[in-house]
Amino acid sequence: MKKKATAFDYMLVIIFVLISLIMIIPIYKVLIDSFDLKTAYGMKLFPEEFGFAGYISVFTNPTLYKPFLVSIFTTIVGTITGLTVATLGAYVLIQWKMPGRTLLANIMLFTMIFNGGMIPTYLIMKSFHLTNTLFVVVLLPAINVYNMVLMRNFFEGIPASLFESAEIDGCPPMGIFLKIVLPLSKAALTAIGLMYAVSYWNDYTNYKLYITNENLYNFQMKLRSVIMGSDLPQAIGGATENTVKNAAVIVAILPFMIIYPFCQKYFIQGVNIGAVKE
Amino acid sequence: MNKKMKGPAANAAGENKRPLLVSLRYYKGFYLMFLPVLVFALVFHYLPMLGIRYAFYSYKGIKEPVFIGLAHFEKMMNMPGFWNAFGSTITLSIVKLLLNTIMAVVLSLMLNELRSVTFKKIAQTIVYLPHFMSWVVTASVFTLILSPTSAGLLNAVLIKLGILNEGIYYLGNQSWWRPMYYVINVWKDTGWGTIIFMATLSGINPELYEAASMDGAGRFNRLRYITIPALNNTIITVLILNLAKVMNLFESVFVLQNDAVRQQADVLQTYIYTQTFNSGALPDYGYTTAVGLVSSLVGCFLVLLCNKASYKVRGRGIV
Repeated sequence: MKKKATAFDYMLVIIFVLISLIMIIPIYKVLIDSFDLKTAYGMKLFPEEFGFAGYISVFTNPTLYKPFLVSIFTTIVGTITGLTVATLGAYVLIQWKMPGRTLLANIMLFTMIFNGGMIPTYLIMKSFHLTNTLFVVVLLPAINVYNMVLMRNFFEGIPASLFESAEIDGCPPMGIFLKIVLPLSKAALTAIGLMYAVSYWNDYTNYKLYITNENLYNFQMKLRSVIMGSDLPQAIGGATENTVKNAAVIVAILPFMIIYPFCQKYFIQGVNIGAVKE
Repeated sequence: MNKKMKGPAANAAGENKRPLLVSLRYYKGFYLMFLPVLVFALVFHYLPMLGIRYAFYSYKGIKEPVFIGLAHFEKMMNMPGFWNAFGSTITLSIVKLLLNTIMAVVLSLMLNELRSVTFKKIAQTIVYLPHFMSWVVTASVFTLILSPTSAGLLNAVLIKLGILNEGIYYLGNQSWWRPMYYVINVWKDTGWGTIIFMATLSGINPELYEAASMDGAGRFNRLRYITIPALNNTIITVLILNLAKVMNLFESVFVLQNDAVRQQADVLQTYIYTQTFNSGALPDYGYTTAVGLVSSLVGCFLVLLCNKASYKVRGRGIV
């Protein structure tokens, strides 16, 4: 049934163009200011004096590129650790006949209902001498029970007959996990791995709580102090303070803006699995 | 029941009667695999729970903790800062949740009416975008465009149009902070919130629409009698799932607040943080642990309440 477009359809398109502009303008404004070497004035469509000096400042200033490297390192190591914990936990939790399975599942689920709170957690991490180390910001977010439940839902979809035949062939649990479960769960690993990666890249709260040593700051921490003006990096080659601030914002969102169009379907898959089955 | 049938080796009956010891040996490898997970949970979730005892102690990190009973809780009840933060936590969370949900439903309904598939895909990609920006980045972007100087986009536009004579410092103004907080939240999360509603909408049987058209139902009647009723359950589910997280509010508020708007912008988690780390004096870990305990208990109560509501509405829990 193909119908002619009505006035309503045209209106809808106009509304969506407006909505898209509202979504994009704040980011676009930061983008043009990051290339503008003149003192910024609010309204303009293009940089008045185009130049890369803002970005050159970000990537040549060790106080700025070091946090960037910390972010990359913790995101990679954290995502791998998180995926390991989530997949191992999820695989054991689908062994329905294993004695004690319910107890283990409840131990995990209870942490979603009740937690120690910010200060007790801080005190325990401090007593373990984990504050001011990257261990705490990598390991603490790795145990995410919600992601483990998502992974379990994916695993449940693997046909039981595959496990059985492998067991009959004498394959040990770890072998089944590595040779059957993981290769069949590439979509799940991508979806949940991306969720971990975004949260590690964007992490600010854990650094704010546990890291006071500036050498261990990630890019979000650094960006925060740059924007708040407490820690302005030296501007190089004609970049104004404002240019450097805007360039730093763009650098912080760049990695995910680049991979996002290619990974959109995995992100959406993650949301839907969580909503439909939990 | 169904799930229990499909475990490894489903030739069930005999298997179930296997003696415990044999069974334990059989699953040895699995227990070993779970060990690291268990260690993570113990170190990062359960050991911190032991620290809750400081709520009943005087503890400033230097001397040994001294038991003082409920004194911290008495102090808390008399602190205007605590009650203010408690109220703000509830208000900010609930208003934000309602606004985000309403906007997401409206946006989904409009997306669903779009005729061109390509245009719809582009629109979706754009509205999802802000979700991937961290709160630090979001706060940075809005601090820059809401800036009271001429570099701030909003003020520049409003002055140019003659609506304002001089710039407003939106994020440092007591009557502007909360509206701006809600706007920023809607900007960031409305698009992402549509995903779950779009999934429900795509599940509606198209024959329903065709039948309704044949009966002479126009676009708005189909929306009213088919589309919106189909969304009801999903809307309630989204509200329940998010109501359980009301007490968690921290980072979004923390990065947008400043001293000028303390009264409007302090929530329990930020209150705990500033009282502990930014109070200027020795941190009173005992007191802030006590505040955290109250927050955790209210949160726990909300989760259990929402769990119950979830069983009623959709026949299964949220945890």
